[in-house]
Amino acid sequence: MRTSNCRARFWNLCSIAVLALCLGVSPNLHAADSAVQVQLDFKKASPRAVEELTERAILRDYRFAWTSIAQALEFNTLDPLEGPFAGDAKRWLKQSVVSQQQAGLNQKYVDQTHRVEAVFYAPEGDVMELHDTAEYQLQISDGGKVIHDEHAVVHYVVLMTPAADRWVIRLLQAVPQF
Amino acid sequence: MQRLLQVCSRVSLGVACLVGLCHAQDFQVPAAAVSAGDEADISTTGSGKATFYLIGPGVSRKSEVNLGESIRLQAQDTRTAGEYLASVCSSSCRSAGFYVNAAKPASLTSLVHPSRVPVAQPDAVSGVALPFDQFHNLVLHPLTVNFQLSAGNALLLSRSVPTQNGAAWFRALSGKSAGLLQVTAAVDDLSARRAVQQVASDPCNLRITGQRTKVGISVQTEPVRDCAGNSVPDGTIVTFTATTANGKSSVDAPIKRGVAQAQMLASGAASISAASGVVMGNEVRVGAQP
Repeated sequence: MRTSNCRARFWNLCSIAVLALCLGVSPNLHAADSAVQVQLDFKKASPRAVEELTERAILRDYRFAWTSIAQALEFNTLDPLEGPFAGDAKRWLKQSVVSQQQAGLNQKYVDQTHRVEAVFYAPEGDVMELHDTAEYQLQISDGGKVIHDEHAVVHYVVLMTPAADRWVIRLLQAVPQF
Repeated sequence: MQRLLQVCSRVSLGVACLVGLCHAQDFQVPAAAVSAGDEADISTTGSGKATFYLIGPGVSRKSEVNLGESIRLQAQDTRTAGEYLASVCSSSCRSAGFYVNAAKPASLTSLVHPSRVPVAQPDAVSGVALPFDQFHNLVLHPLTVNFQLSAGNALLLSRSVPTQNGAAWFRALSGKSAGLLQVTAAVDDLSARRAVQQVASDPCNLRITGQRTKVGISVQTEPVRDCAGNSVPDGTIVTFTATTANGKSSVDAPIKRGVAQAQMLASGAASISAASGVVMGNEVRVGAQP
């Protein structure tokens, strides 16, 4: 009787632990991903028309890239930048994280909405230029104290290139207007 | 009297802070966009200490500043084009944004496809040029890129294309002769070169000859060329087919030194044909073994 009670208690504890893990981990990932809304318009892409599979890949990878930016700059960690970025975009994003760590700052991108238009798709499909009108709540904190909080509307010029298994961002350059 | 006014001013600021009306002092970010790598000044008014923050692409800087003095942005602070946010915090924080634009073009990234192309193919060669400044920012204001395609000393194509959103591109017919095709993209004194290997197109007028030997039939092609007269590369496969009263037999032979040859075992009369890719050659008849 005592043994079966112990077993029951053990399995209950295991269930609670698994449930706690699920509640503790997955909502964050899900929230981080679902918080980034991306609308893509490929109608103006030229000279090459964008293939349907490429459209889906761009949507998936661009959204993931912004989820990664938000995570990297909020938690000052370089890991999220490893997959979705290459070249100069990766270089300056890493610099941002490192200098934030040094200064004790962090940036939080909340409620991201991206209205993205593909404006150039190279004849051989090896580079795509996007224009992104991004809206988000930007919070900048110094040691936990919010020093800046605004609803930002930022225009980004983006260059994406295909890599082995995904499209990566090579250039992410904010401009006053398109 | 002046000293008295300063004391009064500080006291009134202190009282205002106590009742929650305290504000950071005013400051002025650059009104026009800064060029990448340029130094810039942010002017502040007021007196006392404040914390200055500069947050931009690749930069997160925090420093103590004296209000009333200018804050100098060093060249390394503004290397990456994009949006920057300056924030000055004393009792409260005030922020303002400004933009850094790409500097003048310093390099051209050129992508040319394919690396190997058959001659005389329409829209077979294409290229893209993207101008960047010395800090690798994309130059977005319109520039004219001159694309030139040349083979040997002959200029095959010269086209001026304005950049749109930082990119210029072309598509062109491949040349008529096999060999190296040089593709040059140039903006003022900057240029980027790429090479495309042009190879012969499909064989044209594939002609064969055949003769009986002691062991069978020896067949060979005349030098295999495309319609523009370029030698088809060695290794290209030519298929010889012998049709006899007993049926058909085929032999694949690679082109070596411009010709393909094969030995076919057939004792009776045979008609031999040849094909390479989608191109058929002539047919020869060889009599039976005497």
